[in-house]
Amino acid sequence: MKNIVLKFLALFMLLSFTNVMANEHAATSTQTMSAHQEETYQSKPFSEMITGFLKSTGIVAFIHPRADELSATGKPMSDFSKGLGRIIMILITFLLFWLAIAKGFEPLLLLPIAFGGFLANIPIAGIAGPHGFLGVIYEAGLSNELFPIIIFMGVGAMTDFGPLLSNPKTALLGGAAQFGIFGTLVGAMVLAQMGYVDFTLKQASAISIIGGADGPTSIFIATKLAPELLGAIAVASYSYMAMVPIIQPPIMRALTTEAERKIKMTTLRHVSRLEKLVFPIVVLSLAILVLPESTPLIGAFMFGNFLKESGVVERLNDTLQNSLINIVTIFLGLGVGSKLAADQFLVPETLFIMALGIIAFGVGTAAGVLMAKFMNLFPGHKINPLIGSAGVSAVPMAARVSNKVGMEYDRTNMLLMHAMGPNVAGVIGSAVAAGVLISLFA
Amino acid sequence: METNLILEGFKFMGLGMGTVFVFLIVMIFVMQAMAKVIDRFFPEPQAADATAPAKKDNKTIIAAITAAIKHHREG
Repeated sequence: MKNIVLKFLALFMLLSFTNVMANEHAATSTQTMSAHQEETYQSKPFSEMITGFLKSTGIVAFIHPRADELSATGKPMSDFSKGLGRIIMILITFLLFWLAIAKGFEPLLLLPIAFGGFLANIPIAGIAGPHGFLGVIYEAGLSNELFPIIIFMGVGAMTDFGPLLSNPKTALLGGAAQFGIFGTLVGAMVLAQMGYVDFTLKQASAISIIGGADGPTSIFIATKLAPELLGAIAVASYSYMAMVPIIQPPIMRALTTEAERKIKMTTLRHVSRLEKLVFPIVVLSLAILVLPESTPLIGAFMFGNFLKESGVVERLNDTLQNSLINIVTIFLGLGVGSKLAADQFLVPETLFIMALGIIAFGVGTAAGVLMAKFMNLFPGHKINPLIGSAGVSAVPMAARVSNKVGMEYDRTNMLLMHAMGPNVAGVIGSAVAAGVLISLFA
Repeated sequence: METNLILEGFKFMGLGMGTVFVFLIVMIFVMQAMAKVIDRFFPEPQAADATAPAKKDNKTIIAAITAAIKHHREG
């Protein structure tokens, strides 16, 4: 019995001793910790703390920008783009808010882009920088072109190729409208040759793809060929797509006669389910044979369409069309917005991009209408030239515009389904054009 | 500037528009061929036969209803 008690006592003493040792060790480590803290945090008088804090406020950062602040890409910036430029950019994002909310300009994308731009112009915080959350979003899905591809899957799931399959000829209208892309490319090169701007061929190609009137394609190409212009290109692309009902009708009216606008088209034939199911595979196979560079875009698009037409994966189809495209739209918008920082957006090139973009839209519209008139010179079913303008992608806005203008001249003339044919062909056409541009620089 | 940028632009345009049109024209021919093949070998089951007798039924039903109403009013 005594033995056991002794053993217990010994054990207790041993334990308490190690405990004391541990405590001593902890005390020394806290001592070194506080010594280490004092190295980085020096005790200062309270007045100095206040002035130091005031220097880190936004007000001071706008008026007296820090000399050592770097741009999101890690380059030194001018005082203008750190101070006044940022205020101007924030006001521009407010203008975009107004356009999106009050005027209904593509609010789904313009609002995230504009708010991203607002955040990207905050001084000191560096939200668009490599460690800010906008910068992280940009790195995660834009610099590697992932987000536009996912959007394309969703657009594919929303697309019905029925009208195109029932009247295949109208695909030519979607091809002609791509003239907007290449016409603008020549225009940009003329400007560069005359020395007004300093666009390289890559930059000019990225700008001219605005004429494809396809948001995800524009972003895809811009991030690949000229990421420094991404903000301006995306803003131009989406705001002009929203302005399709304003830009297109005057061009359509100017190029057609009253009799042409009243042409009634023959009713569309019924397209079997099997045709719709085989079509995505056929187009993708063609793309593989002709232009593999275009298959990222066309492949994603046809994947979405194939899921929809298969009719057996309703859940996946629903996700592509709704939740997935919505989530990715938020990230895509914010990521593009990160490129609206003053040092990248407030440059003379932006004005040229805006101007070239609207020319691209106009030329594409005109080319589509003229192509329809040209096709009417040949025997066969006549085409109402008003559906030619729907050859610029902008699904389904451009087709609705064709329908609306047609109804103005003949209330019984429903052109909507006829215009959907060139409309979806325009998406394929601009994806092919994008593939050509990529292959030229590969 | 040594290269003529305008000329480069036109080269891009020729190649680009050419590819787009070749692609779409081939696509049109394939679409037409596909429609013919599918129509010939895998025709969709015709739904028209099912609607024809339904129309006839409607007529007899309508006749019965009108007769019943007439009977009711007279009676």
